Amino acid sequence: MKDLTAIVKGNEEIAEKIYMLTLELTEDVGAVRGGQFVNLSVGDGSMLLRRPLGVCKTDGRLLSVCYQVKGRGTERLTAAKEGDELKVLLPLGNGFLLDKYKNIAVIGGGVGIFPLIATIREHCADKNFYSYIGFRNKSAVCLLDELGKSKSLTVTTDDGSYGIKGNAVSAYFEDVNKPAADAIIACGPPVMLKVLKRELKEHGVNIPCFVSLEERMGCGVGACLVCVCKKTDGENARVCKDGPVFDINEVEL
Amino acid sequence: MADLKIEICGVKLKNPVIAASGTFGFGREYNEIYDISVIGGVSSKGMTLKPRLGNAVPRIAEGYGVILNAVGLQNPGVEHFIKHDLSFLREKGVAVIANVAGSTLDDYGEICAALNGLADFVELNISCPNVKAGGMAFGIKPESINEVTRVAKSSLTKTPLMVKLSPNVESITANARAAEKGGADCISLVNTFTGMVIDLEKRKPVLANNTGGVSGAGIKPIAVKMVYEACQAVDIPVVGMGGIMSGEDAVEFMMAGAKAVQVGTANFADANAMPRIISEMNAWLDNHGIKSVNEIIGTVRMN
Ligand SMILES: Cc1cc2nc3c(=O)[nH]c(=O)nc-3n(C[C@H](O)[C@H](O)[C@H](O)COP(=O)(O)OP(=O)(O)OC[C@H]3O[C@@H](n4cnc5c(N)ncnc54)[C@H](O)[C@@H]3O)c2cc1C
Ligand SMILES: Cc1cc2nc3c(=O)[nH]c(=O)nc-3n(C[C@H](O)[C@H](O)[C@H](O)COP(=O)(O)O)c2cc1C
Ligand code: FES
Repeated sequence: MKDLTAIVKGNEEIAEKIYMLTLELTEDVGAVRGGQFVNLSVGDGSMLLRRPLGVCKTDGRLLSVCYQVKGRGTERLTAAKEGDELKVLLPLGNGFLLDKYKNIAVIGGGVGIFPLIATIREHCADKNFYSYIGFRNKSAVCLLDELGKSKSLTVTTDDGSYGIKGNAVSAYFEDVNKPAADAIIACGPPVMLKVLKRELKEHGVNIPCFVSLEERMGCGVGACLVCVCKKTDGENARVCKDGPVFDINEVEL
Repeated sequence: MADLKIEICGVKLKNPVIAASGTFGFGREYNEIYDISVIGGVSSKGMTLKPRLGNAVPRIAEGYGVILNAVGLQNPGVEHFIKHDLSFLREKGVAVIANVAGSTLDDYGEICAALNGLADFVELNISCPNVKAGGMAFGIKPESINEVTRVAKSSLTKTPLMVKLSPNVESITANARAAEKGGADCISLVNTFTGMVIDLEKRKPVLANNTGGVSGAGIKPIAVKMVYEACQAVDIPVVGMGGIMSGEDAVEFMMAGAKAVQVGTANFADANAMPRIISEMNAWLDNHGIKSVNEIIGTVRMN
């Protein structure tokens, strides 16, 4: 884990209000796993909090994150240009640990697709991914080439303007030809994960399912107890340190 | 290289830069980023007698140059700290400040008794704005500050007592004096200011707790003034904090009279904030030909 200076190599809009920011790290940080995230300064000292963003691609010292413009921080980030310096703390969190699995169903929606892409990239040489990916509408569709590294890819949009009309969770459960998987990985808006948990139960699916959660953060390293989620055993877990990836049965959604 | 060593209430610190309670856990996480033995001390997450789960999320929000938090004193309880965290901090050779809170006078007495002789200081949090158990009820009026300080002090026969003052009060001067009269060995300030941020789309406060404690760069001028006033009011040492982001900020608090400083929110903005602040402080002293950090304490002169 290091807090270091990164040099902006690119910052392009890849879909409506979605940017891919590529950073060159000035120090080695070792391997970065899909599902891990970075805590990025947005380059404006009046914002004291870093923004947590899932790692989307790594290539040596180059690292890309994709962000959706939401509020003041991500708005400010759109102004970052080649050569600018940003501080970045990484790698954070546990990431998806998939050693035991070979055939993996991927369910992703919205900005949740980026950490899933990193995971697919990391393992696609020796594992099979069957991906179900939901976008808001056609203008939000992006990174199909990366998602295409899956063995199969089903794309949905809420309004049907691209792919199947619907969402990633319903596409997964409605796919009558779905290949047998030994695990599911998922990331997306809280409501998507909630529905996924309910549907898994209703359909009696009992293969392991790992979900990556989002919560507002302070330190990003497990020290401040700002980012907790509720576990089913009644205890709290820190999304930044104990997660962001959890077994879906271990957390309240 | 200036000499950064300081001594407060007989406790020697290798430098005056202490991690502020609640922002640094019990030190383990930041130790994965740098060796925390370089800092002067660690004030632990605020502890209560029994474990607490804290408030609902979101627990954090942001404003210009500030953040707000409402963690609600989530902590594993004082016994857990004594069993699992104390020895780690001891091995690191940092001053160990056990930050504690309670909802009754008895709570404060009991928790101080549990830590007597174990920590280097017990820091009495009577100023957490986010939960009843945070002792805010004791931290507003001089009479109750005096009373809770007495109770704590009577349990602390071996460990110096640091009383942490709230800025959300009528008179810092009166409250600092009340702590001194109650038997505090030193005081620390400021805790967070109460505040609120509204999400315009939802027409609801961002924090689940509605209100939270404001900290970070934006509170520094208010904190510096309060630390100065407290230093004028009492003879016991004062530990200053509130918005310290740089070595110069730390020097400013010490000129105002603080013997040491605590750094909180800066750790979130920059995970290496504390070692950076220490080296910036050193550079400032060197650039001004000052041999020991002790030479700057309380040297500000009013116009
Ligand atoms: C582990 C993790 C991975 C993430 N990965 C991605 C990603 O790959 N791509 C992406 O677009 N977004 C991702 N997010 C969400 C992203 O962090 C927020 O959208 C972003 O912080 C919003 O910042 P802002 O300044 O634009 O919004 P503002 O609302 O102005 O931010 C105010 C504060 O709230 C925090 N905040 C607001 N929304 C969220 C949220 N949903 N989650 C966490 N903090 C939030 C901000 O970080 C900031 O501290 C991730 C979140 C987490 C926790
Ligand atoms: C997330 C967070 C948690 C905190 N928890 C505590 C606590 O448990 N006990 C306490 O005395 N102060 C707590 N504080 C207050 C800080 O110790 C410090 O007094 C305050 O943040 C001002 O300093 P700063 O501006 O450097 O952060 C907390 C502050 C933050 C930001
Ligand atoms: S953000 Fe500090 S514990 Fe997770």
